[in-house]
Amino acid sequence: MSNHIVTSYDTDLQNLRRSIAEMGGIAEKMMDEAATALVRRDSALAQAVIAADQRLDALQREIEERSILLIARRQPMAIDLRETISAIRVSGDLERIGDLAKNIAKRAVAISDQVQPQKIVVGVQHMSELVQEQLKDVLDAYATQNVVAAHDVWERDGSIDALYTSLFRELLTYMMEDPRNISFCTHLLFCAKNVERIGDHTTNIAETIHYLATGETLPTDRPKNDRSSQTTVEPPAPQNPAA
Amino acid sequence: MSATATVAPTPGASRADETAPVRIAVKNLNFFYDNGFQGLKNINLNFHDRQVTALIGPSGCGKSTLLRTFNRIYSVYPGQRAEGEILLDGRNILDPSIDLNELRARVGMVFQKPTPFPMSIYDNVAFGIRLYERLGKADLDARVEEALRKSALWDEVKDKLRQSGMGLSGGQQQRLCIARTVAQRPEVILFDEPTSALDPISTGRIEELIEQLRSEFTIAIVTHNMQQAARISQFTAFMYLGELIEFGQTTRMFMNPAKQQTQDYITGRFG
Repeated sequence: MSNHIVTSYDTDLQNLRRSIAEMGGIAEKMMDEAATALVRRDSALAQAVIAADQRLDALQREIEERSILLIARRQPMAIDLRETISAIRVSGDLERIGDLAKNIAKRAVAISDQVQPQKIVVGVQHMSELVQEQLKDVLDAYATQNVVAAHDVWERDGSIDALYTSLFRELLTYMMEDPRNISFCTHLLFCAKNVERIGDHTTNIAETIHYLATGETLPTDRPKNDRSSQTTVEPPAPQNPAA
Repeated sequence: MSATATVAPTPGASRADETAPVRIAVKNLNFFYDNGFQGLKNINLNFHDRQVTALIGPSGCGKSTLLRTFNRIYSVYPGQRAEGEILLDGRNILDPSIDLNELRARVGMVFQKPTPFPMSIYDNVAFGIRLYERLGKADLDARVEEALRKSALWDEVKDKLRQSGMGLSGGQQQRLCIARTVAQRPEVILFDEPTSALDPISTGRIEELIEQLRSEFTIAIVTHNMQQAARISQFTAFMYLGELIEFGQTTRMFMNPAKQQTQDYITGRFG
C-alpha cells in the first residue's frame, strides 16, 4: 500500500506494528519457558517467566495510549482505523496470554518439589506445544495480514479443546485413585486450563486479523470442543460392599 | 466459514435507508465547460428521499460541478452544458422546457461562504417567498418564523428581525442562508462545503441542523472533511477526475471501501 501524505502517520502505524511484534515475541517465549519449567521442574526458569510479564504489561499500556493518541490526532479511516483498533485488541490478547503463562510458571514453582506422574505432565506439555504452534502461526498471520492462515488457526482451536477435555478427565481419575495426587493434579488442571485459554486468545487474534483484512467480523459460533464443563468422572465402586 | 457478518451500521437516525424512494436519479450525465473541458463523465447515481448523500473527492474531481447541475445554476455561465438525464421525481430537469425559477425553488442551495443579502434578517428569509407567493403579513410572518425555527436561528434573532443580516456572525449568517432556502419549502437542499469557513462550534450547529432537516428534505452535501461526511451522511459518493469511482452506504465507505482509490483518498494516501 502506498504511503500517507503525512509521513509521521506512517511512522505511528509502523511503531504500533513493531510493538505488537515485540509483545508477540515475549508472549511466545513466556509460554514456551513456562511449559519447560513445568516439565523440568525448573524454578529458576519459572521465575524468569514471572519477571518477563512486566515488560509485556508495559508494552500493552504503551500500545493502548499510542492508539488513543493516533485516533485523536489523525482520525484514522478504513484500513488505518481497523489497524489501530486491531492493535488495541491484539495487545490485550497478548497481555492476557502473558498473565496465563505467568500463572503456569507460578504453579510450576509450587509443585516443583512434588513427585509428578510424567504421563500427565507430558499431556499438558503436548497441549502446550500445540497452542504454541497456534500462537506462532497467528502472529505470523498478523504480521503478513494473511487471512487464510488466520482462518486455519481459528479452526484448529477445536482440537485443543478436545485435548483439554480428555486431560481433565484423566486428572480427575488420578485424583480419585489417590488423594495424595490431588494437590499437584489440581495445579496441573489449572495449567491445562491456562493453556486452553491461551488457545482461545490466539483464536481472538485470528478473528481480529479477519476483521483487519476484510472489514468484516467472523461469526460468533467458533468450532468448540471443550466439554470439560459437562464432564464428571464417577468414583470406582467400593471393593467389598458387604464389609 | 462462508457466513460472515458485516459490520453493523450505526443504529438510530444515521442508518442508511436503501429502500427510501429515489428523489434524484442521475443517468449517463456528462458535463462540459465552455472551453470544452469535460467536468463530468457518464455519472449514474441515485439520491434517496430524506437521506443525506455526501460527495467527496479531491479538488477538481467534479463534485461541486455535479451539485451545480441539480438546480442548473451552471446555466448562468454561457457555454456550459450538461448531457444525459437528471430525473427529479421522474422528470428530466435538463429538459429545456423546465421553468428554472420553479426548479430553483424546489432545489435550494447553500454555499461555502455565507451569502446574506444586504437587507434585514426578516427580508432575507422572506425574499424567496415573495418571489413566488403572495402572502398576507400574518402568513408571511408565520413562514419566516417557521423557516428560522427550522434553521435553529429563531431564538437568537427573534428580537432583532429588522436588523441587517450582515451583522450576524459567520455561523449565524450561514444558518440565515439555510433559513432563506428552507422558507421556499424546497424538496432538495444542496450544500456546497457549508462549514469550511466556520469555526468548530458553528460547524457543529450546522451539522446538527442538517441531521434535523433530513426528516423533511433530501440533502446532498459536498465536503472536504472526511469526518464530517462520515458523521452526517447516510450515503457517500467518491469522485475522481470527473468520474464516480464508488458509491455506497457511508458506514461501509469509511470502514471498508471496495475500491483502492477510495481507500487511498479517505485514508490520506492520495497522490
